[in-house]
Amino acid sequence: MENWIEFGRGPLFRLCFALMILGLIRTFAFSLFGLIGAYHRAGEKVVPWGDLIKKTFSWLIPIGRIWRARPLYSIISIIWHIGLIIVPLFLAAHVTLWKNSVGFAWFSLPQIWADNLTIVAIISALLLFIGRVSSKEARALSRKQDFWWPPLLALPFFTGYLCSNISLSANGYQVIMLIHLYSANLVMVMIPFTKVAHCVLLPLSQFVSSVGWKFPRGTGEKVMKTLGKDNMKEEIA
Amino acid sequence: MDRVHRLKSVLWTIIGIAAAVGMTRYIFGLGATTNLTDRVPWGLWIGFDVMGGVALAAGGFVVTAIYYIFRREELHPIVKPAVLTAFLGYLAVAFGLLFDLGLPWNIWHMIIFWNPHSPLFEVGWCVMLYLAVLLLEFSPVPLESFSAWAKIRSFLIKWKLVLVILGISLSTLHQSSLGSLFLLTPYKLHPFWYTPILPILFFISAVYLGLMMASWESLFTTHVYRREKETSLIAHLVGAARWVILLYVIVRFGDLFVRGQLGSLAEINYYTVMFGLEITIVAIVPFILTMIPKVRDSNPGQWFIASFGVFGVVFNRTVTGGLAHLVQDGASRYIPAWTEFIVSAGVVSFMAILFLFFVEHFKVWEQRAADPSVDPEKLPEFDKASNASIGTPLLAGWTKNSLIFISAAAVGLMFMSGKKVASQGIDSTPVSQARGCEVLMVDGNLDGYGVKFPHAEHITRIGSEPEKCTVCHHMNLPGDSQTECSNCHSEMYQSVDAFRHDWHASSDGANISCFKCHDKGKPKDVDSAVECSECHQDLIPAGATIKVDQYNAPGYVDALHIACIRCHETYIDTVANRKIDECSSCHKGAITPENKKFAEIVMTKVKAGKFQITPEIKKDRE
Repeated sequence: MENWIEFGRGPLFRLCFALMILGLIRTFAFSLFGLIGAYHRAGEKVVPWGDLIKKTFSWLIPIGRIWRARPLYSIISIIWHIGLIIVPLFLAAHVTLWKNSVGFAWFSLPQIWADNLTIVAIISALLLFIGRVSSKEARALSRKQDFWWPPLLALPFFTGYLCSNISLSANGYQVIMLIHLYSANLVMVMIPFTKVAHCVLLPLSQFVSSVGWKFPRGTGEKVMKTLGKDNMKEEIA
Repeated sequence: MDRVHRLKSVLWTIIGIAAAVGMTRYIFGLGATTNLTDRVPWGLWIGFDVMGGVALAAGGFVVTAIYYIFRREELHPIVKPAVLTAFLGYLAVAFGLLFDLGLPWNIWHMIIFWNPHSPLFEVGWCVMLYLAVLLLEFSPVPLESFSAWAKIRSFLIKWKLVLVILGISLSTLHQSSLGSLFLLTPYKLHPFWYTPILPILFFISAVYLGLMMASWESLFTTHVYRREKETSLIAHLVGAARWVILLYVIVRFGDLFVRGQLGSLAEINYYTVMFGLEITIVAIVPFILTMIPKVRDSNPGQWFIASFGVFGVVFNRTVTGGLAHLVQDGASRYIPAWTEFIVSAGVVSFMAILFLFFVEHFKVWEQRAADPSVDPEKLPEFDKASNASIGTPLLAGWTKNSLIFISAAAVGLMFMSGKKVASQGIDSTPVSQARGCEVLMVDGNLDGYGVKFPHAEHITRIGSEPEKCTVCHHMNLPGDSQTECSNCHSEMYQSVDAFRHDWHASSDGANISCFKCHDKGKPKDVDSAVECSECHQDLIPAGATIKVDQYNAPGYVDALHIACIRCHETYIDTVANRKIDECSSCHKGAITPENKKFAEIVMTKVKAGKFQITPEIKKDRE
């Protein structure tokens, strides 16, 4: 068991972490190249840069957007993101691991904050999942990965909480730690290859929708044909 | 075209793992990524990447010489690819060196700080210049696609012959100088390989490898791109190569005969096996195969001949560069780590990818090779992993290969230990004192290659007054006035503590209390200690020209070089007709056969532990 934990913490972590970083760079580079290609093919070449930058930043800090539509969902989503980003990066135990392996460290959260944020993140993941499953419209719009991402992300948070409060995990600490490590590694591998890649693609997404409106006439039909979904035209009509 | 794609996948896999290892090398250093030590600082990256790489690129100068100088027009189809291979080969050498050099960011030092005595200086300059020449020689090919550069292109074509001649002369210089490098290692390289004519052997084998590599490259690319086979042309090349290798074998064995090493081949040990293996691969197999016309004119036969030839010479370079080095007693033989192999393979793979890029995008051959994935009629594909569209069919190859690359790099990082490995240090080499009377034999490590120092002659020249002795004798043991050099400079190469703090404090030694030297109530360090001269007035004689400040005696070699050369340089103008600042004015080779014999006997005793400086001897001296 101890060996498997060491493997997950050492070689496997390096593999998954490297795949995450390199994969995100790759996805970003390809999206950028694709975007440049799309821009060259667009009918109109004028890009509203100021507007794009403003929109991108307003999505980065979406406080102003909360009340526009589905405020409850928006608030939960924002809280979810805060916990998701801050806890893994600034948990004292994680920072110590970095310090011991690469030799440098950074600011870490007080344990009580980390614990509370973790609970908040788990609850919000649960709520988001319930929201998606219970609403008919949301179900229709969802892909497979939309369903399995919230539980997958909640798993390392839950096991991590148990591990950092040793009184809760006194029996079977090693098993819980093993699940924590391997699920977190799985999360890292999945990031660049699924929708979570939006963490680096965000600066491009506003640009995509801006250029997309400026394609020449008939582009939509060509795209459908390419995708082999000509028959969908009648369905929509 | 499936072959091209498969080849590219393999190449990108290797490059990916090598990139991970390369990154680790830069973060954690050579100790973490290689099996190199201070004792074996040159390994696979020099033997294969540099020496093999330069030799593999010999096709450039051999083919251009045959085509442009000897006007053999039939070679036309392989001239451009040969120049491209040479260019990429030298690029690989420079690129590979960035991993091997301890301080790669100092690589430019050679351009500014000249050391014309060093063969490495010549090699470095030649490689730099030849790389530039090859760039100019090859650039008309890619420039063809850019009309803005037409004038420069026609200028380069006009001056092609000059470039070719420059390229040939530079190659002649450094292909052989790579051999000269190993003339500096008479004790390290086994006598089968160590010979004064090593540069000549390197040059002949480079010409041979040039012909073989041009053939191999033609065979390989015609196979991969399913082009028309150039069988008769290759038959010519390997046919010429066999006479070159015959010359090589004659010279090599003639040299062994002259040096009296031929008899040692009868023994069977590691070195004879290596030698036999090398000669078989590089010469015997290709020569016999080439002599059979049926084999020489067939495609599979040519594959065998060219592969043996190429591998053989590269093997020779690797053996000369490390595998045939003698191993000191108690040390283990250097075997490259897997990380070293993968970095070498990665550098080669990267150059192969660049080669494929050039032949696919420019007219290196009569007919440009096309990438089948670039088909304007082809529909866009989706990224297999993320199911998202990532680009046009133009990028299809990149989609796959980049995924291969990042996966391989991640796997490479997984296998990195990431632990710092410290140097094993250098062995201690105790100095034995200079012997003799009027003429002293200065030979600290007793290898027979010392220096005869005419002590009496120096006294007559300088004068025998006590203050004249201080020109050299700058520090003496208490009560002495002519302490020998080896008393303080007791290590051949490393600096040692001449003060010997522990001896002063020990009850076995001077047995004095801490506070005789150090101030009470202050930390016991240099600042709180009294000057040595407070107790030992006679330690440093008045008028000593060599100043002692830290009692940290440099190694014997350094100390004597500094003392002698500095003085010789001062007096150079007063001595008639003698170049007393040059190495050869003191170092005259092995002193005499008898002395050498004596040194050998002493050396074996030292090795056997019989002459070691035991604590008793040390105490006695003190």
